Amino acid sequence: MRRAFKIYRILVAQNLKRIMEYKADFLTGAVSFLINQAIGIAFIFIIFSQIPALAGFKLEQIVFIYGFSQVPKGLDHLLTDNLWSVGYFIIRKGDFDKYLTRPINPLFHVIAETFQVDAVGELAVGIGLIAYSAPNAGLYITPLSVTLFVLAIPFAALIYTSIKIITSAFAFWIKSSGFIIQMVYGMNEFAKYPTTIYNNAVKLFVTYIVPFAFTGYYPALYILTGENPLFNIGGVVAVSIVFFVISILIWNRGLKAYESAGS
Amino acid sequence: MIYAENLRKEFTKNIKEPGLKGSFKSLFKPKKEIVVAADDISFHVPQGEILGFIGPNGAGKSTVIKMLTGILTPTSGSCRINGKIPQNDRKNYVREIGVVFGQRTQLWWDLPLLETYTVLKEIYEVEDSKFKKRMQFLNDILELQDFINSPVRTLSLGQRMRADIAASMLHSPKVLFLDEPTIGLDVVVKDNIRRAIMKINKEEKTTVILTTHDISDIELLCDRIVMIDKGKNVYDGSLRELKKNFGQMRELSFEVDPISGLDVRKFRENIDLSDEDVIIKNDQNIFTVRFNSEAMPVGDMLNYTLSAAKIKDISVKDADIEEIIRRLYKEGAGGNE
Repeated sequence: MRRAFKIYRILVAQNLKRIMEYKADFLTGAVSFLINQAIGIAFIFIIFSQIPALAGFKLEQIVFIYGFSQVPKGLDHLLTDNLWSVGYFIIRKGDFDKYLTRPINPLFHVIAETFQVDAVGELAVGIGLIAYSAPNAGLYITPLSVTLFVLAIPFAALIYTSIKIITSAFAFWIKSSGFIIQMVYGMNEFAKYPTTIYNNAVKLFVTYIVPFAFTGYYPALYILTGENPLFNIGGVVAVSIVFFVISILIWNRGLKAYESAGS
Repeated sequence: MIYAENLRKEFTKNIKEPGLKGSFKSLFKPKKEIVVAADDISFHVPQGEILGFIGPNGAGKSTVIKMLTGILTPTSGSCRINGKIPQNDRKNYVREIGVVFGQRTQLWWDLPLLETYTVLKEIYEVEDSKFKKRMQFLNDILELQDFINSPVRTLSLGQRMRADIAASMLHSPKVLFLDEPTIGLDVVVKDNIRRAIMKINKEEKTTVILTTHDISDIELLCDRIVMIDKGKNVYDGSLRELKKNFGQMRELSFEVDPISGLDVRKFRENIDLSDEDVIIKNDQNIFTVRFNSEAMPVGDMLNYTLSAAKIKDISVKDADIEEIIRRLYKEGAGGNE
């Protein structure tokens, strides 16, 4: 485990050095990123100022759910962004060979290679919206509820990661799965709003099939109402573990099916 | 040391008609075909040997190397290296091997070369003192000092290849897999790399498997060769023996004075060789005679040619591997081509 952390630190450092090697590109990226985030926040306020209440939630509560949903998403984005490249080109071009000839777990290796600084934006927006809305959202705050709520965050991020592992691993068989990742990942939009606004089919879908509802709405609902921690928080933990196990099984099968590319 | 037993690898290929229309068609009605890239490949390499693994492009060399290095899982058959099965014990296995794919790089593209080595040092858990000694050694044999602080993207192909070979040897592997380590390099760099491989092999008893299209690589380095063609093992033995049996083909090409010219039919009739042993091609005034030097010595052929026509220019070429393979394959298949 200590070795894993050490390797992780070293690979991330390599990545940051690489980014800073090209200073002009890095600075342009940082500036455009700030502008992007500012526009994003402005847009959120324009939308929410038009909807004073939704599905029985008042404005601050909606903003809280929205803000919270960005935190696990950002966390996953920060740490595992290289899975996109696996789906788009690493496998297709045969560059995955490299990971298989090194004495570290290939999944860990490929994930550790990228530390996506862009994700700081999602995290900042999420935390900002939580800070803005929390005082008037009528949160149910006890030591236990706050602990459970915070505990749910890494598990919620793991749901994102598992879904990305599964969809990127498809590339082992079909060579390129970037658009599949994009399609499935895009469904995280559902996590930002109360599931009660959807019909039953959609609700079941985002709860059990592509369980993004557990990355946003359910844990947020718990801290808003204090109700049903077993489902709202326990569900996050259970679903994330089940999906993570499934994702590892699929990934490992994919490694056996990997065909490399001609050289 | 290295045992390969009946290795077989199949790939499924989508058959596509050309053009965008063909792509659409195959999207909805895919036609599949099974391609056998390696078929029943078996061989054994004892410790400390340098094995040349040769064959024409697309013969399945890389596929076999990738199975031996644990990158690909064989469809059937198995391999065992150092008592380990790569696919079952990958993490421990790859600590003991070094791999270079000449067409790819494992170096960190955007950073100074030295950074790659310091990261690999951690990945392979090489101790500080050993690392220092090792870098010294690799520096000596591969002459890295001139570019060790340059970003990898700025290296020339020759420098990059030397850097990649050094990267694969940093952890003192017991087995080294080199897939076309001299591809596209000039004579000086080739020589440097060959000497490095020889030195590593001598001093550390490293077992080496290398693929190449360069017959000098094989002549200078390899104790033994395994040749594959169309996925099948067609030869296993020493190069000397192979050349003795199949490598006697020479190619003589000459330019004839356009005014006096040359009658090909008469030229052929006066050579006492069977059709198997001589092929004559004529392209305007350039004639190419490919013949078996065992059946007719090169000197005789030269004398005969010089007497038969007014020659402006002449050259003799050694048989290349492709030619040897062509002959070998023909013979193995009973000459039914």
